[in-house]
Amino acid sequence: MNAARPMLAGEAASEQAHTALDPRAALCVALDHAAHLLPSQPPLHAFVHHNTLHAFEDRDFDVALREASALYGTEPYQSEQAFAAHIASGRIDSRDIESVLAREPGGEERLWPGGPTRSRLRRFRLRHVFETPAAETVAWMVSEGELFVASHPAIGADARARALSAARSRRRLSARLRALWQRLVAAAPVSTPPRRGLRVRDALLTACDIDIDEWVHPVLIRLAGAYLDQGMAAVGMPHRGAGFLAAVRALYAPAGGIAERWMRGLNATVAEHAREQRDALDTIAWALEAAAVPRAQWPQYVLHTLLALKGWAGMFHQYETHPERLPVRTVPATLADFLAVQLTLETVAMRHALTQAQGHLARGAAAVALADLFAEAAATRPAQPDLGAVFEAFVVAQGLGLDAADLAEAVHARALIDAVREFDGLARRRLLHAAYEHHYRVHVLDSLIAHQPHRRDEPQLPALQAVFCMDEREESLRRHLEELSPDVQTFGYAGFFGVAMSYRGLDDVKERPLCPVVVTPRHLVEELPLDAAAHARYQVARRRRGRASNFVRTARDDALRGSGWALLVGTLKIVPLIGCSLFPRAFARLVHRLHELGLERPHTRLRVEGNGTIDPATGLALGYTVAEMTDIVHGMLSTMGLARDFAPIVLIVGHGSSSLNNPHEAAHDCGATGGGRGGPNARAFAAMANHPEVRARLAQRGLAIDAHTWFVGAYHNTCDDAMTYYDTDLVPASHGGALARTRERLAAACTRDAHERCRRFESAPAVLAIDEAMHHAEEHATDLGQPRPEYGHATNAVCVIGRRRSTRGLFLDRRAFLISYDPRDDADGAKLGALLAAAAPVGAGISLEYYFSYVDPRGYGCGTKLPHNITGLVGVVDGHASDLRTGLPWQMVEIHEPMRLLTVVEATTAVLEHIVATRPGVAALVLNRWIQLAAVDPESGAVQVFEEGRFVPYVPHSRDLPLVESSMDHYTGRRGHLSCARVRAEVEHAA
Amino acid sequence: MLPELLRATSAHVVLLVPALPVLAFAAVLLPRLFGRATSEAYTYGVVATGVLGASLFMGLLAAVLLAGLGAPSVVGAGRWFAVGHDAFEVRFGLDALGLAYGGFSLLMVALVAAFSRRYLHREQGFHRFYALLMLFAAGLALVSLAGSLDMLLIGWELVGISSTLLIAFFNQRPGPVRNALRAFVTYRACDVGLVIAIVCLHVNFGDADFVRPGNAAWLGMPQRAAGALSLLIGFSLMFAAMGKSAQVPFSGWLPRAMEGPTPSSAIFYGALSVHLGPFLLLRCHEQVHASPLIGGALIGVGLATALHGALVGRVQTDIKSMLAYGSVTQVGLIMAEIGLGLHLVALLHIIGHAGYRTLQILRAPSLLHDRHHLEQMLGHHVSHAIDLDSGSNRWLTLPRVYRHALERGGLDALLTDRVIGVLLDALRGLDAAEQRWSGRLARAVLAALPRGRRAGRNEEKAHVS
Repeated sequence: MNAARPMLAGEAASEQAHTALDPRAALCVALDHAAHLLPSQPPLHAFVHHNTLHAFEDRDFDVALREASALYGTEPYQSEQAFAAHIASGRIDSRDIESVLAREPGGEERLWPGGPTRSRLRRFRLRHVFETPAAETVAWMVSEGELFVASHPAIGADARARALSAARSRRRLSARLRALWQRLVAAAPVSTPPRRGLRVRDALLTACDIDIDEWVHPVLIRLAGAYLDQGMAAVGMPHRGAGFLAAVRALYAPAGGIAERWMRGLNATVAEHAREQRDALDTIAWALEAAAVPRAQWPQYVLHTLLALKGWAGMFHQYETHPERLPVRTVPATLADFLAVQLTLETVAMRHALTQAQGHLARGAAAVALADLFAEAAATRPAQPDLGAVFEAFVVAQGLGLDAADLAEAVHARALIDAVREFDGLARRRLLHAAYEHHYRVHVLDSLIAHQPHRRDEPQLPALQAVFCMDEREESLRRHLEELSPDVQTFGYAGFFGVAMSYRGLDDVKERPLCPVVVTPRHLVEELPLDAAAHARYQVARRRRGRASNFVRTARDDALRGSGWALLVGTLKIVPLIGCSLFPRAFARLVHRLHELGLERPHTRLRVEGNGTIDPATGLALGYTVAEMTDIVHGMLSTMGLARDFAPIVLIVGHGSSSLNNPHEAAHDCGATGGGRGGPNARAFAAMANHPEVRARLAQRGLAIDAHTWFVGAYHNTCDDAMTYYDTDLVPASHGGALARTRERLAAACTRDAHERCRRFESAPAVLAIDEAMHHAEEHATDLGQPRPEYGHATNAVCVIGRRRSTRGLFLDRRAFLISYDPRDDADGAKLGALLAAAAPVGAGISLEYYFSYVDPRGYGCGTKLPHNITGLVGVVDGHASDLRTGLPWQMVEIHEPMRLLTVVEATTAVLEHIVATRPGVAALVLNRWIQLAAVDPESGAVQVFEEGRFVPYVPHSRDLPLVESSMDHYTGRRGHLSCARVRAEVEHAA
Repeated sequence: MLPELLRATSAHVVLLVPALPVLAFAAVLLPRLFGRATSEAYTYGVVATGVLGASLFMGLLAAVLLAGLGAPSVVGAGRWFAVGHDAFEVRFGLDALGLAYGGFSLLMVALVAAFSRRYLHREQGFHRFYALLMLFAAGLALVSLAGSLDMLLIGWELVGISSTLLIAFFNQRPGPVRNALRAFVTYRACDVGLVIAIVCLHVNFGDADFVRPGNAAWLGMPQRAAGALSLLIGFSLMFAAMGKSAQVPFSGWLPRAMEGPTPSSAIFYGALSVHLGPFLLLRCHEQVHASPLIGGALIGVGLATALHGALVGRVQTDIKSMLAYGSVTQVGLIMAEIGLGLHLVALLHIIGHAGYRTLQILRAPSLLHDRHHLEQMLGHHVSHAIDLDSGSNRWLTLPRVYRHALERGGLDALLTDRVIGVLLDALRGLDAAEQRWSGRLARAVLAALPRGRRAGRNEEKAHVS
């Protein structure tokens, strides 16, 4: 990662290093740098949450945000207006602001002897948000005198009244303000507007108002879409096997056709390149030379060119580096080819634009020289006094009660302006964000501490033990299950349950990995039918239906068959239209029933056990050996502390999500299985744990599973809250009653879970009857017109790693990842280290992707879903043609609170410090502050927070924790984020 | 007795059909215009009332017609204004064609309105969307129930403007606005055809009213012109229909129109707006068949469009463009059917196509889900296009053919560069000549006033840039 650290503006030294390389090598390095800064989202079907700014993880969080927003032109934090609203609503209070101000260096320093302190200035700016008008507007407001009519409204009514009474009359106040302005404007610093980018396109836009991106992009998007297509178009692009550049050349080398004016030079250029057999790198070098880019600027030029269509460029890079993630088959796409095509088109466009530019530059010749163009572009940026800064200082001075006399010396006026400029929007938002996080952190840590005296130990003889994914969406399900049945014990673990496999289900066309993305699976597990004859019948029926619906699908897009379709059945399509518009749920059920009619899925088993044989087609081991299975089962059970007191039934619950009208469906699946559905993992784990030989070996290793204990795999659909149980026919007859009770308990908990989820949907009434909740959830999952099937990970904020007893009975509002970990059996922290190394990047990736997609839905997220248009089966564009949009849609994140994940670990600080020192993956996240870390001592319960490189004892602010009768009492009728609360129902059950 | 009564009341009833959506449009927008925030429930309630009311009255009219209580007829609902001997009569036509198309349109609008309530929930432009949908419904009602070309034109324009504004729904990005402008320019250019036809009819015959020829089931425009005039009117109407229905060479705007929210794309470009061209020609079929030249040209345009759509659609890689070209193909065939005189077939084709295409566009965002299930059923990938080196074996993948398809037949380049570009060049030339001559004149005058000379030059330079 470090070797390929991305280049950013100002790294002159490495730029010089590039000049020393030969051009091809320099381009390779430049492409490598640029590649890491492109979006790294895989094709949609394999969507996995990841840190949007993963490439910046080697830097401090705030530094990374500043650099990234400069590079991409994106928003680093919420807007100041949003923060102002949080202050107004009490989401940020003065304690939070004082806390972050106290931590900011230089606060006590005075701007000049006797002048205000920096802290005072900062406090004023954080609390009083106002807009800075453009320099022209400021000049106009001055000349019209509008600025001096009264004190600025942003300073608040009290300060305005004080200013007026001090001046004694409006006229005198006006004169005072004018004098203040004059002092400040006399000290105004001069600034040059920044250059608008370094590409030729930017110079053309600035100097001649011609945007060649508007010419090039539609063509490039069409070509890129055709090349990357995974099976949308009926006719594929010819010569794709030879690479993108070669395929484009094959298309454009023949002359003729009707082309837009700017493209007329393309045939000749491309034909010449083909004749000279220029490869991608040569073509790029040719284009850079044609654009007169100095060698030292090549890396930056390459980067900024690729960023112009960063989604598509990033997808080329994904095809190149992760061909295994493609839905259908590999295509030899390379980033170099993409850039070569882009630059070829840009060069042709540039040449045409220069012939058009003469009118703009009025400089004789037939074509404008590039040098003239750049000179003209530079001339449009004269240096000017920074009136914006003067305006801000003017308002700040009013707010701090300064007048012309205080600023009599020019150095004071200048000091004020400089201090105002230094504490710019970015700095203010950084502190406001810290205050925003501080508020929630204090609330959660206080609640955890306040809950400790009331925590209760787990049931001694549990009737049921259920292991869920760590996913914060399972928090509510676990809570309701425990509330309803106090004799149930629940656990949380990464949702692949240690079974890192490649899986092919009975119906699947292709196997897919079901494990965290950082792991490469080495085992293949297949779902096989028990009865070959039943399976054959099933397959025949399915194939027949598949062929029929495929015939219909292709017919509709065909001219003649389409007409026949329209005339014969088109009118009948009114029926499904009425169904999906007016009765979405009933209609979906009907369709589902028709689909299942006459299809009987045969009973199946997973082939979990193998003897080490390698499958020749995939190169993966077929199943796991007994030793491997023992390791997997032992690893999970001992880490969670489930090593004694087994219940008759241990339920392992994987999860996933199924929805319609949702190109981002896979984003709601389980992150720990790499964006897959974790049911098969749970099923495989249960099969392993029930294996007699595995149990015998576990007993040898000191983990004796009771003979009367049976593991059952299950699957929870988080969208419609349905449960599926696997291999129930294998459950011993003696456990039949227990299994039936388990199903009942889970069904009741799922209903309550759906009920709690529905409070977030405005489509559901604020007070919803419990028996309508499931209907409502099902409707969200099956409605073609529903852009919010579920809210996914939105609102995630905390991760608690430790024993459940510290959070059992605590209402955490579906905002907490819960990972079971027993520190008693892990003195050296080895298990915790492995756990953190696997879980921290998953949790951080989810929380940070939500963070970025929320704070900048256009720059980091993919905006509203409504115009999304699926392209090539790999991504979405906005409407007709745009850059490939990456990140999360607004409908997924709209209720999120953008904060870094607060990770609370039940471990000693010594253990955690050791892990941070030895695990580089964890260290990057913790030391560079991409997550917040807190330690709860396993013995004393004392809390310490990791700040500025070390653990600092945490002093709770309040020990109040609301007590509620039940979860339902707490949330019913309320839509927004809820505070933590202690649930009495459970406490009393326990008594 | 009863028919007389119906006749007397139906003029007022029919006025309500377009009026109710217009009222709903106003009721959605007016409070917001005055800064009153209204809820989604209010807007939806207003819209539902408007659409259901209009549908109710439309149904009533259809029931009267079906029950044989009233014959297809034109009813007058008063006079809008009069200038000299010319007057704008508000006339509605009640016949099977208009009521079938109008009734179907309102049904689709009602379904999409219901569908969009969930789809657009919490979207910033929720109210704007419904207001425009109501304007669209009013336009459709007017077009289908118009008793004269004049009335039809009003509806035609309402459909055009609501379509344009919905393409530009996401007006924060430049793409939708640019593509909306493109659609708008195409609409306006082709509307000229409709206006020419109306003017010709008024100048020569005093009105452009529809009548019921003999005992025909459909009202239509009587064939009164002859010779060159009939050709002019026929081709003008065909020109108007070609723009609205994205026929070659005006097909370029349709795929670009897929910028708005999915439901509006579905109802405009899958179902209703795109079929208005054929509807106009069905109304004016006598003009189309006035000369074999017009009919032949229509068949030619229709088949060329179908061929174009089928070819271009085959290489599209995004779902909405694929569906847009699917629409282009089918509408082309419908045009050809009208050219061949297969009017009933054309009407059935319109309704059948609108039905399944709307559903297809609404289902477009679920493509990955559907494809996954289809592949599971088939047991293999639907991978007809994924053969990497298909270069040699099919004529469609010959570089020239494929490029032609990928560049959408070069139609956009043809229109923007060869037509609009040439026009702009000519205008620029004229502008430059004017500059030159006024400059020379000014210099001659200013020569007498030495101080003013520099100012004149600067001004000239400012003009150039």
